[in-house]
Amino acid sequence: MIRLFAVIERDLKKFRRNPVVLAMSILMPIIYLVILGNSFQGKLQALPVVIVNQDAGPSARQLIDNLRAIEAGPKTFKLLSRKDQDEAVGGVKDGVYKAALIIPSDFSRRVFTKARPEVGLFLDNVDAISSENIRNIVKSAVRSLDSDYVAIRENTGEVLLRDIDLFGKVDYYQSLVPGVVIMAIFLGTLTTGAFNLVMDRFLGMDESYLLTPLSKSHIVGGLIISGLTITTLIAVFIFIVSMLITGIPFSRALHQWASIFIVIILTTLCLLSLMFVILGRVGHPRIVGILSGFLNVILFFPSGAVYPIASFPGWLKTFAKVNPEAYAVDALKSILFKNATIPVISGDIIFLLCFTGLMMTLAILSFKRTL
Amino acid sequence: MQDKKAITVSGITKKFGTITAVDDVSFEVAEGEFFGFLGPNGAGKTTLIRMLTTLLKPTAGKAVVACCDVEKEPAAVRRGIGVVPQSMTSDLDLTGYENMDIYGRFYGIRSRERKERISYLLEMVGLTSRANDLVATYSGGMRRRLEIARVLVHKPEILFLDEPTIGLDPQSRRVVWGLLQKLMGDNSLTIFLTTHYMEEAEALCNRVVIIDSGKIIVLGTPEELKAQIPGNDIISLSVASLSENIIEKAKTLPFVHKVLAEDNAMRVYVDSGARNLPMLIDEVRSSGGTVLSATVHEQSLEDVFIHYTGKTIREEEAKKVSFFVGPGIPQKLGR
Repeated sequence: MIRLFAVIERDLKKFRRNPVVLAMSILMPIIYLVILGNSFQGKLQALPVVIVNQDAGPSARQLIDNLRAIEAGPKTFKLLSRKDQDEAVGGVKDGVYKAALIIPSDFSRRVFTKARPEVGLFLDNVDAISSENIRNIVKSAVRSLDSDYVAIRENTGEVLLRDIDLFGKVDYYQSLVPGVVIMAIFLGTLTTGAFNLVMDRFLGMDESYLLTPLSKSHIVGGLIISGLTITTLIAVFIFIVSMLITGIPFSRALHQWASIFIVIILTTLCLLSLMFVILGRVGHPRIVGILSGFLNVILFFPSGAVYPIASFPGWLKTFAKVNPEAYAVDALKSILFKNATIPVISGDIIFLLCFTGLMMTLAILSFKRTL
Repeated sequence: MQDKKAITVSGITKKFGTITAVDDVSFEVAEGEFFGFLGPNGAGKTTLIRMLTTLLKPTAGKAVVACCDVEKEPAAVRRGIGVVPQSMTSDLDLTGYENMDIYGRFYGIRSRERKERISYLLEMVGLTSRANDLVATYSGGMRRRLEIARVLVHKPEILFLDEPTIGLDPQSRRVVWGLLQKLMGDNSLTIFLTTHYMEEAEALCNRVVIIDSGKIIVLGTPEELKAQIPGNDIISLSVASLSENIIEKAKTLPFVHKVLAEDNAMRVYVDSGARNLPMLIDEVRSSGGTVLSATVHEQSLEDVFIHYTGKTIREEEAKKVSFFVGPGIPQKLGR
């Protein structure tokens, strides 16, 4: 018995003397709760929907009023209006809007004459959760407009909602692929690059290369490039395997493969240099273990990889604006499911480039060449 | 010994907060010299070596190593020196050969030259047959030998060794000594060694410094240092009920130069120890002490060391432990 208690006491003492571990084991579940809770069950809000109203008639106005009521009430939409139909649909394709509602010029007349009125709804169906929501709300808005007339004569007066999925059908598993790839990149960057520095420091081996003529940029740059090589290989492998599993078609243009590769490399560089800033002075692998869980929660779940960013509360949305993983997910989704070209994802790429540049500079500045 | 200086240190000081680890230390090492820094644990040896090898910035003072100022031109200093730190720094995940090869590339040595140099050095340290085994399979002594070979790949002018034989068994220690002696014979390499093993300093060094609490206590050749302490021999006595009276009485004997006492032990510095031992024992007895055991030994550097630094174990400053991260991270104080 005395032996058993000795083992227990030794372990408890170790735990108590490491306040970081203690604090983290209390904080982590709370962080999970706050981040996960807010990034999953949240109500979709302020989805940008553009209306192109070519009809000056009363029915069009009524339909828009119905939608305005939803914008003011549950705030699911943020309604915008455009004159040009092509511009609106193009905006959806490029990811600026989640949907475009086109009300044709003869809409009110057709409602009035019950001559099979139609509205067109162009949906960004890559974000399946948002597009389904928009489809249902617009459908009910159209129905309530319709109800006055249904009683008089069935069917011929009913407004037909032509909903058009702009992109090829994306099932739920396929939509997770970008997230899986980003997760692979995250784990890769966590176990290469700066982590090797932490291990060297922990084992006292850093001294041997700090004593050589290697410069700061040799050390940081070398570790980042080796981490980049390993992580890119892992990410590409995971990417191909998950495409095979989920049945995403492989036949795509060369420039698309190139852009996928560019996004993977940039994301890896981005996270590797971020790790260097965070772990640059850490000397114990235990700290890496604690931080990895924390970083994964705050980077991955608010990235839009599993649930649309539009459902996040304001503070989490703001965070998603500076979260590199959110940009990486967006870029990969655009290329994979929307056949986007480089100009479409240029915003994402510019952000990732700037973030990498900033972190790399910080990493080299904060890295200590002395003990 | 040549006149050219390999290392010139003037007034170098390092403070960690309120602790002064190295306190206004000055000395010179000539080119080709084997120079030893002796001191107990916590004396500031490692801190000093780290300042001389550009790993720590001095709080005050100046050091010129391999013709360059350590603060102003650290990169040039690093090119001219080879350092074997106290902890084992060879990479466990690599083979012995790979360890040396990668290290050689850190210095920009071309492939052909590297190959020749590595096979020569591996042969020298007796690791040729194990060159392609992972370092993880090496013993402590083998790793140390590999590390010594590794820092010689770029032909440094000065070799720094921080307690190179710490934790090694007596056989490995002697192999390392033999290696260092061979290096001394080979060329004009300057070697700077820190140690707390007296026999190591005595066996290897041309000149020795004894450092304690960050200050240089004495500097000279091992012979000079031994000559400085009174008496040729030392008699160690273990005495039951040792009193102040016994010590005073012993001091009055004509052949006694000095008496150090601690608990029940006396260290008596005498001339002709073996001949005078009975007289000393008689004196102790007549003063009311009972001699339990007695040994006579010739002076060694160890006695010099004890003579200058005293016998008590240093009260070392407690190492800092961060409250936030806990003791999980050893806070490096550089000693």
